Amino acid sequence: MRKFVEKLSAVLDHVADLSIRIAGIGLFLMTVFIAWQVFGRFVLNDTPTWTETSSILIMGWFLLLGAAAGIREGNHLSFDVVLFLVNDKAKSVAFTISDFVVIAFGMGMVVYGLQLALKTWPTTIPNLGISGGVAFLALITGGALLVIYSVERLLRRAVGLPTTRFSDKLAEAD
Amino acid sequence: MELLVLFGTFTFLLLIGTPVAFCLGASSFATIAFIGLPPVVVFQRLNSGISVFALMAIPFFIYAGELMVRGDIARRLVALAGGIVGHLRGGLGQVNISASVLFGGISGSAAADATAIGGIMIPQMAERGYGRDYAVSVTVMSSIIALMLPPSHNLIIYSISAGGRLSIADLFTAGIIPGLVLAMSLMLVAWWIARRRGYPTERFPGFGVLAGLLINAVPGLILVAIIFGGVRSGIFTASESSCIAVVYAILVTIFAYRTLSWTAFVEATLNAVRTSSMVLLVIGSAAAFGWLLAYMRVPTALVEALKDVSDNPIIILLMLNVVLLLLGTFMDMSPLIVITTPIFLPVATAYGVDPVHFGIILILNLGIGLCTPPVGAVLFVGCAVGRVSVGQAMRSIVPFYIAAVATLMLVTYMPALSLWLPSLFH
Amino acid sequence: EITLRSSDTHPEGYPTVVAVEAMGEMLEERSDGRICVEVFHSAQLGEEKDTIEQTQLGVIDLNRVSLGPFNNIIEETKVFSLPYIFRSTDHMHAVVDGEVGADILAEFSNHDLVGLAYFDGGSRSFYNSKKPITSVADIEGLKFRVMQSDVFVDMVDALGGNATPLPYGEVYSSIQTGVIDGAENNWPSFESSGHYEVAGYYTLDQHLIVPEVLVMSKTKMESLSAEDQALIRQAAKDAVPVMRDLWAKREKASEEKVRAAGVEIVDDIDKTPFIDAMDVVYEKHVTSDKLKDLVTRIRAVE
Ligand code: NA
Ligand code: NA
Repeated sequence: MRKFVEKLSAVLDHVADLSIRIAGIGLFLMTVFIAWQVFGRFVLNDTPTWTETSSILIMGWFLLLGAAAGIREGNHLSFDVVLFLVNDKAKSVAFTISDFVVIAFGMGMVVYGLQLALKTWPTTIPNLGISGGVAFLALITGGALLVIYSVERLLRRAVGLPTTRFSDKLAEAD
Repeated sequence: MELLVLFGTFTFLLLIGTPVAFCLGASSFATIAFIGLPPVVVFQRLNSGISVFALMAIPFFIYAGELMVRGDIARRLVALAGGIVGHLRGGLGQVNISASVLFGGISGSAAADATAIGGIMIPQMAERGYGRDYAVSVTVMSSIIALMLPPSHNLIIYSISAGGRLSIADLFTAGIIPGLVLAMSLMLVAWWIARRRGYPTERFPGFGVLAGLLINAVPGLILVAIIFGGVRSGIFTASESSCIAVVYAILVTIFAYRTLSWTAFVEATLNAVRTSSMVLLVIGSAAAFGWLLAYMRVPTALVEALKDVSDNPIIILLMLNVVLLLLGTFMDMSPLIVITTPIFLPVATAYGVDPVHFGIILILNLGIGLCTPPVGAVLFVGCAVGRVSVGQAMRSIVPFYIAAVATLMLVTYMPALSLWLPSLFH
Repeated sequence: EITLRSSDTHPEGYPTVVAVEAMGEMLEERSDGRICVEVFHSAQLGEEKDTIEQTQLGVIDLNRVSLGPFNNIIEETKVFSLPYIFRSTDHMHAVVDGEVGADILAEFSNHDLVGLAYFDGGSRSFYNSKKPITSVADIEGLKFRVMQSDVFVDMVDALGGNATPLPYGEVYSSIQTGVIDGAENNWPSFESSGHYEVAGYYTLDQHLIVPEVLVMSKTKMESLSAEDQALIRQAAKDAVPVMRDLWAKREKASEEKVRAAGVEIVDDIDKTPFIDAMDVVYEKHVTSDKLKDLVTRIRAVE
C-alpha cells in the first residue's frame, strides 16, 4: 500500500509541476496580452477588443491550476491557532475532515461547473466569438485536480507519510 | 437559522484548520443546500468572482514585486534610504522605515516588504548592535506602509468588494497621507526606543554619495511614477498599469541591469502564481459567501441593530474599528476585506462616512492585524527573516502597536487626511 | 406570505428601483398583504449577466435588467440595440407598447423567464471635450469610449470615430487627460458621473434608445395560482407609467443641472446622414430574416 502511494505521489509530482508551469505561462501570456492592449491604444490607435476577455479566461485557468497545486504544496492560508493546542491524534482527525471538505467542494466544482458549462454552451462570449461555456472549463479541471490531490493527502496520511501545510512552512522557517 | 448554518460551519472549519478559501466556499455550499436553493449558485458566484478585469492587478503587482525583489531593485532603494535618514537617531531603524516608504510605492504587499526590506536590513542592524527584537518590530510594523501607499492590491480588492464602483485612482491617492503619517509616527517611536537603548547613528555620507545612491535607485523610483502617474492621470487602468509594471520590471532587471537570471525569472513567475492564486481563490469563494450575506440581508440587519446601539457616528466608527482589529488578529487581510466590506461599508455610509475614507480605515486596521498574534502573517514572516521567536519580537513591538493604533484613530476621525488629496484631482 | 426577491444594479432611489418598489406596494395592497416584493438594489446579488442566470434558476424571482446581456441569449433582443433604430423616445414607447414589444417579450419564456414589462433606459448621445458635433464629419478621428459590444464599436467606426473600450470608472479621468475625447450616454448618467465637468459638448443624436426589461423566473411564476400570476402581471404593467414619469423627471433635473453648468448642447442636428452611415452596421449585424423582419416592422410603427 505504502509503495503504491509513493508511486502515486511520484506521478502527481509531475502533474502538479506541469500544472504550475502551465499556470506560469498563463500569467506571462496575460502580461503580453494586456501590454499589447496598451500598445494598441497608444501606438496603433486601434484598441484590440479581444485582449481583456481572453486575459480573464486565462486568469481563471492559472488561478485554479495554481490553487489546486497549492493544496498539494500546502500553500493555502489557514487558521492554525487551535491546532497548536491539541495532540497529534486530534490534529490528524482535523486534517482528515479538512481534506474531505476540500474533496466535497472540488466535486461541487466539477458537477456544477459542468452544469453551468452545458447551460451556457449555446451562448457566445462577446469579442471572442467562442462559446460561453468555455469560461467554466477551468472550474471543472481545477475541481478535479483538487479532488485528486486531496485523495492523495488522505492516502498518504493513512499509510503514515507526511502531508504539507501552510503552518509547517512557518514552523520550519521559525 | 440559516445564518447559524453559515457562520457555524464557517467557524468550525476555520478552527479545525481548513484553508480559508474552502471554509468560505464549503460553508456557503452547505447553507445554500440547507435553504433549498440550487447549489450551482455557489459555483456561479465563485466563477464570476474571479472573472473580473480589475482583479488582474493582483497577480500583476505580486509578479512585479517578485521580479523587483529578485532583481536587486529593493536593495538599491534601501541604500538610498540609508543615505537620506541614516544619520538620525536609531539610524538603521529610520532607514528601515523610510525604505518601506520607497519600496511601498512599488509593492502592495506587506509580506513582500517585510521579506525584502527585512532580509536586507535586519542582518545589518544586528551587526551594528541593534537588538534583533527591535529590528524585527521595525521591519514588521513599517511593512504596513506598503498597504497604504499606491499601488496596493488590497485597495483594489476593497474597491471590487465594494461593488467595483469606487475609483481605484481615488483610493490610491487617499492612502498616501495616512501612509506617510504612519511612517512618521513609527519613526518617532523608533527614535524614542533607540535613544533609550543607546543605538548608534550612521554618518551622513555627503551629497556626492547620496547623488550616486539616487541614480542607482532611479529604476525603482521610475516605476513608482509610472504606476501612480498612470493610474491617477487615467492613462492606464489599474490592471493595465500593473501589467506595465511587470513589463518594466522585466526590461529593467533582465535587459538593462542583467540582475535577474533565467532561473530567477522562472522562480519569480511561479512564486507569483502560487501567491496570487491563493489570494484570488479566497476572493472567489468570498464572492459566494458575500452573495449569501446579501441574500439573507445581513448588512441591513446589522445597520438596524447598530442604530439601536447608538446614532453617533463617532461611537459607530469606534465599534467598527474594535471589531475589525479583533477579527484582524485572528484572520488574514484579503479574506477579511472581502467578507467585511459588504457588511460594514453600508453601515459606515449609513452614518455618512465616505466609502473612500472607510477603505483607508479598513486597510490600515487590517494591516495592523497582520502584525499581531495569533494570526499575523507579516509578523511570522518578519520573525522568520529575523530569526527570533514571536515571543521575543513582542518585547519591543508594543510601542509600535500604540503608534499604529494612534494613527488609525487619527485617520478614522480626521477624514481630511484621506479625502483632501483625492479632492484636489476633481 | 409570498416574498418576491428582485434584483437591480442601479442604486437606491433610481427610477427603476423605485418603480419595482411601487409595484411591490400595489401587489401588497391588491393581495391583502399576501405578496410583497423585496428589492436588492446596487448589484447586491451580482451583475446583470449573473442575476439573469440566477433568475433562470429560480434563485431570485424578479430582475430589472438591460437588454444588452440578453443579446447573446435571445436573438430578437438585438434589434433594440441597433443604432438609430428608434426615431425618438415616443417611437420607442409606441414600439414596445405595441405588437413588436409583445412578440419579443414572449420570447423570454423559451429561456426559463417571463418577460413582464419594458422600462426606460434613456437615450444615449455623444459628448466630447473637443468641439460641438453638428455633422458626421465632426466625429472624424475623435476617440469615444463605448461599452464592450461589437455593435457599438462598429457604430463609432462607421461614423469615422475611434472606438475605445474602457471601464466606465476610468472615463472621467481619461477625458480629462485627453486619453479619449469623449463618450456617449443619457442625460442622468452624463450628469451623475460628472462627465459634463470635463466634456463640454453634448450632441443629442440619440443613437441608442434601448429599453430595459423586468423579467420574472418562470419556475416561480408557474408555482403561483392563476389569480396571483394575473396580479403580478398587472402590477408590473401598472409600474410602467410610474417608471416613465420618474425617468422623465430625473432626465429633466439632470438636463437643467448640465445646462446650468454651461455645457454646449446641440439639439437640432439633421440625423439623416448619421442614419445613412449605419448601413454597414446593419449589413453586418442584421443578417437573419427574423431580424430583418423586425427592423421593417419597427420602422413601420408611427
Ligand atoms: Na504600495
Ligand atoms: Na492577523
